[in-house]
Amino acid sequence: MLKSLSRTVSTAVRISTATMFSARSLQPLTRSTLCSPNSGTIRPFSRSLWMMSHNGAASVYRPKLFSSKGFTPVSCGCGSLHTEGDKAFGNFLSDEIKEEKKIQKSSTLPKMSGGWELQQNGTEAKLIRTISGEKVTVTFNVNNSIPPKFEEGAEQARGQKSAENEPDIVSSPNFVVEVTKQAAKHSLVFDCHYPEDEAIHGEGEEESDIFAIREVSFQPEGDVEWKETAYTLNTDSLDWALYDHLMDFLADRGVDNTFADELVELSTAMEHHEYIKFLEDLSGFVKCN
Amino acid sequence: MGVVLRNLQNVVPLRRARLRKDVETLRHILGIQKFDLGVICVDNRKIQRINNIYRKKNMPTDVLSFPFYEELRPGKLPCPIYRDELNLGDIFLGVEYLMKQCQQQSQDLHGILTSVTAHGICHLLGYRHETEEEWKEMLQKESYILNEFNRFTGRQLVPLTKKCSQDG
Repeated sequence: MLKSLSRTVSTAVRISTATMFSARSLQPLTRSTLCSPNSGTIRPFSRSLWMMSHNGAASVYRPKLFSSKGFTPVSCGCGSLHTEGDKAFGNFLSDEIKEEKKIQKSSTLPKMSGGWELQQNGTEAKLIRTISGEKVTVTFNVNNSIPPKFEEGAEQARGQKSAENEPDIVSSPNFVVEVTKQAAKHSLVFDCHYPEDEAIHGEGEEESDIFAIREVSFQPEGDVEWKETAYTLNTDSLDWALYDHLMDFLADRGVDNTFADELVELSTAMEHHEYIKFLEDLSGFVKCN
Repeated sequence: MGVVLRNLQNVVPLRRARLRKDVETLRHILGIQKFDLGVICVDNRKIQRINNIYRKKNMPTDVLSFPFYEELRPGKLPCPIYRDELNLGDIFLGVEYLMKQCQQQSQDLHGILTSVTAHGICHLLGYRHETEEEWKEMLQKESYILNEFNRFTGRQLVPLTKKCSQDG
């Protein structure tokens, strides 16, 4: 379910963001802990960090822990921290961005056949089509859309930086198909995915369908909260004839194997585009503005 | 036990439910409902690759059969002891190849797919057509199956064996 998947992703982002914030706030929190011994705050990690870095009465916090690791602040007047490590990082990112742009197939996204209109919102995209009064919306997110085997191969290839060995990274996102009939209060929603063995084996002996339906349910029409109390049909133990009817239903509305293949092309291009954009933003963040 | 149906190609639009229904009818006629059967629809590229690997023929074809039981006497159903041996094997349908044939002969694709699947099932049941005698035996079996099928469904399918166009 993409809505619950996107909730999961948002939660993960919020958790990681919270972790980042708590790491940044370690310094003042540590000081306040020592300054107020009766505070009752128990933060054993931050206390030991303080003990490692502090050499006497608490007056000015000095990050001595990092002093032997090439921490040499660069003064540029912009008010941010710049280290030699940041400079090396920035140079690395510049090279990485150049390399990624070299292998980028096209600066524009590939077109889907079948008259699908693309709407993009960051890493999430919607493909919308109207057919005889029915609206079909396909939603997917390029985050976490690269199968693990490709990520392992890519890490090795990026480490080697060898053009011949570099595997093509393919983004095969889960996607949600919503079919809404005119004046209907509910949409028929299909949660679909690319079976993992198909993605992993690539040109090998594939024996899975190109894409598969995982769950089907009726959901309120429009961009509203996912209704958890709606019955959800799971295809794991579904009658195979019923499953084939559902696949034929989707195929009649343009969601067939051709669509699934083209979606992989589109998602792969989008993911690469977003990755390059992220590297550029990271480079700008790290370097002196 | 059932029919595992897969569509691995995007060249030919297929009606999965219709193909499954026809295959189930064939299984009922042959009395093989308790056996698993795989039907995999592929394009020319894939069937050519399989044809090349297993038959050393680097060209697309209409159907390739891979029997689970390789030494069956024609028409004699296996009597497995274990549940996971209730399997007849896999049939790969070269749907792109068959589509071209249909267009040339103005035939219905799904009808052809069913005839070809019947031919493929006969191979899984031990039938061959390498000698004249074998060919006659297989043609007789296929004719029986499709006559029964036509009787149930009102369709008019004809055996593939008379064209002698494939081997499994």
